[in-house]
Amino acid sequence: MSTNHRFFCVFIANLVLLSVIVIPVFAQGKKAPAASETGKALYNDKCAHCHGVEGAGDGAGAANLLPRPRDFTKGLYKIRSTGSGQLPTDQDLFDIISKGMPGSSMPAWEGILSEDQRWQIVAHIKTFYDGFEDASPVEIDLSGKVPYSGESVTKGRELYKQLECNACHGAVGRGDGTSAPDLTDEWGFRIWPANLEQKWNYRGGATTEDIFKRFIGGIAGSPMPSFISSFRVGLSDAESARMTELEAKMDSDELADAEQTEYEGLEEKLYAFEDIMLKVEEGEEPTPEEKAKLDVGMKPIFEKSWHIANYVKSLGPEAIPQPAIGDKVLRAQYRPGDLPPIGDEAWNTLESSYFPLVGQVVIEPRQFNPSIDSVTAKSFYNDKEIAFLFTWDDRTKTLPQADEETAEILEDAIAIQFPVKVPQGPTEPKPYFIWGDARRAVYLWHWKVSEPQKITEMNAKGIDKATVQSAASQVQAEGVYEDGRYRLWVKRALTTEDKNDLQFESGVFIPIAFSGWDGANGDVKTKRAISTWYTFVLEPVPSKKRFVYPPLVALISVGVLFALRGAVQRRENGNNI
Amino acid sequence: MKRMPLFTKCLILFVLLWLFLKFVIGGIISVPLPSSLIAMYLWLIILAILVHVSVEDDRFREFLRPIKETLADESKKVRRTALFVLIPLVMLGFTFSKVSTRADPPAALRTAHPAPPADLTYRDKVIGTSQEVENPFRHLEKDDAEAFRVHVENGRRVYYQNCFFCHGDNLDGKGHFAHGFQPLPANFQDPGIIPNFQESFLFWRISKGGPELPPAATPWDSAMPVWENYLTEEEIWEVILFLSEYTGYRPRTSGEGAH
Repeated sequence: MSTNHRFFCVFIANLVLLSVIVIPVFAQGKKAPAASETGKALYNDKCAHCHGVEGAGDGAGAANLLPRPRDFTKGLYKIRSTGSGQLPTDQDLFDIISKGMPGSSMPAWEGILSEDQRWQIVAHIKTFYDGFEDASPVEIDLSGKVPYSGESVTKGRELYKQLECNACHGAVGRGDGTSAPDLTDEWGFRIWPANLEQKWNYRGGATTEDIFKRFIGGIAGSPMPSFISSFRVGLSDAESARMTELEAKMDSDELADAEQTEYEGLEEKLYAFEDIMLKVEEGEEPTPEEKAKLDVGMKPIFEKSWHIANYVKSLGPEAIPQPAIGDKVLRAQYRPGDLPPIGDEAWNTLESSYFPLVGQVVIEPRQFNPSIDSVTAKSFYNDKEIAFLFTWDDRTKTLPQADEETAEILEDAIAIQFPVKVPQGPTEPKPYFIWGDARRAVYLWHWKVSEPQKITEMNAKGIDKATVQSAASQVQAEGVYEDGRYRLWVKRALTTEDKNDLQFESGVFIPIAFSGWDGANGDVKTKRAISTWYTFVLEPVPSKKRFVYPPLVALISVGVLFALRGAVQRRENGNNI
Repeated sequence: MKRMPLFTKCLILFVLLWLFLKFVIGGIISVPLPSSLIAMYLWLIILAILVHVSVEDDRFREFLRPIKETLADESKKVRRTALFVLIPLVMLGFTFSKVSTRADPPAALRTAHPAPPADLTYRDKVIGTSQEVENPFRHLEKDDAEAFRVHVENGRRVYYQNCFFCHGDNLDGKGHFAHGFQPLPANFQDPGIIPNFQESFLFWRISKGGPELPPAATPWDSAMPVWENYLTEEEIWEVILFLSEYTGYRPRTSGEGAH
């Protein structure tokens, strides 16, 4: 063997060795530096007010937050790229600090803290849990990604039902499953299943990969399990179904001897996989044969998870809708004849305007953790009346019930707020956005789920100074709850005799605001979700002139062009003669 | 190479100037200019070009030549036909869009910082004149650093229990409720905020919130609560200390002139 040749072999061998050593390090991204005083000081200044000086998630701000700030002492991390039961990688922690957690109070620190500072904080956070010292978390394999397609979405939708995702996340994914109201996390705090349509609130991001990782790794500390636990790893669908069947027989003592043997065979197959999985979970390196076997067993599960990830991806838009200002302002459309009732197709022709709601954190008792994300609205009007269709998502339909602690009657409700008098111009103040003030009253439509066909007309000069109008309500309403969503249809005459009512006038931008109560979230009275003032307009009927002037102008310009041409030609001819 | 006709040169100049107004001045250098303002400048530019070309007879003839050719020359038939169709169509579209423009919602007004009232009050108690009142804990910064720290930390607690929902974890106005408000919550990391105001001004804004804003304080939709209803006088002064310590910006003192 020539020297060159030998050198080449050594080189190759080194490459192979390197790839074995290097790839796992690459796969887990960067590593945090050693914990330092710098990291501690940064943590104390930027994080401790919520996560606590000792990392127990008990800082000054924590009491008012849900989800609670992470308690780092338990080593339970929701958002990981690693398998179930494992710690996150350093890169996972770094990413969460950098990008924040949408829909929670955890902000993105990218751009505020330098990369180095964020790594210092990662190092400090790891000191709160001893388990990090000798952990070697393994990342979830994303290589088998199933591309997004209609077929995959359909399979995912089937699996969603089959695996009973709907028990928590609801039939169409709005987080309104039957188990939704009773869920708590590892710390005993109320936890709501995600509304899968509101991707902008996904804590760990909404890419297909993000969703897939939540399935495989589970969301630690929450009731969201790893998908793998829903399957019998290593058995085919048919084998698994057979096993379930045999188990049922076993329970009723009807198992024949042959079936007993069959069952034991299946069990053995299953245990063989479980042994390998346990080994991996404990951080042991499986043998190549074991690894190969595990991969084969996992493949169908991973594939199914990709299908569900694609299905979840298909639910709703990725970005938070633009709020109803500027181009997106709510424009009530003129529609001659009768205004469409609640279920009418005509409503589908209008675009929804989006009004974000946030907690009412001004007046005690306050709502720091609102569960109603937003209200959407559409509107038609004719020469006499105006109709609105409002929708909002609520995971639970809460009919009147007494609160366990305060004995207050909780119930789902909404109030739509207008000023009694529309301010003339932008410099004239509106009433205070939460139910007006002493000088400026608001006009309210109050609807509650126990009386779905009734709007109570009210006036308020402050959140605790609301009065129900004495005259019988002139407002028609119909409210429906379905699949985690309320739809409320409201209709009123454009003008009324009552001077405490708002009078709707075409072409005028009218302020509008919302209050929403989710009874199951403890909302009552001042404790509610609110919006600030928005405006909407009864879009004026477009003038007929738009069909007259433009053709006229076009004709005139044709005339002018020909006249010019004529003039030039005459002169040229004159010159030529 | 054939020389470029004067008309084409003028046309290119016009387009370049329009692009400059629209994207360089109203984009890179400053905020987008209103279209009415751009239109006014463009008329001036047309006027200037016409003045320039019509100073000398020859130059004017040279300028008009391509126009005349297009209108009458038999060799320019294709170009003429295209223009005779295109120009009326553009006029049609332009007029249609002008006539059927929808009503635009009232523009958001820029935030004007109002002058504080003569007397600074907490609930109904007069503390002193807005010009003179100082943060009662400010002197501790020099006199008793440890006591000062305690007040700052207290302010931190107050902030994260009450303010950060809107004004943000990093005091940058990007709290998790901020998207629900218009105007957006104040950004204390903006160098134009804290250094421009006395602590008494901050005390006034925090204690009275949106509802007590004077009429000049457009746009008037501030969601800022009346914090004197929920916080003690000390807590408000403490949170002001925290705002300044965290951001590193010092409020103006009564001796300094306003900006």
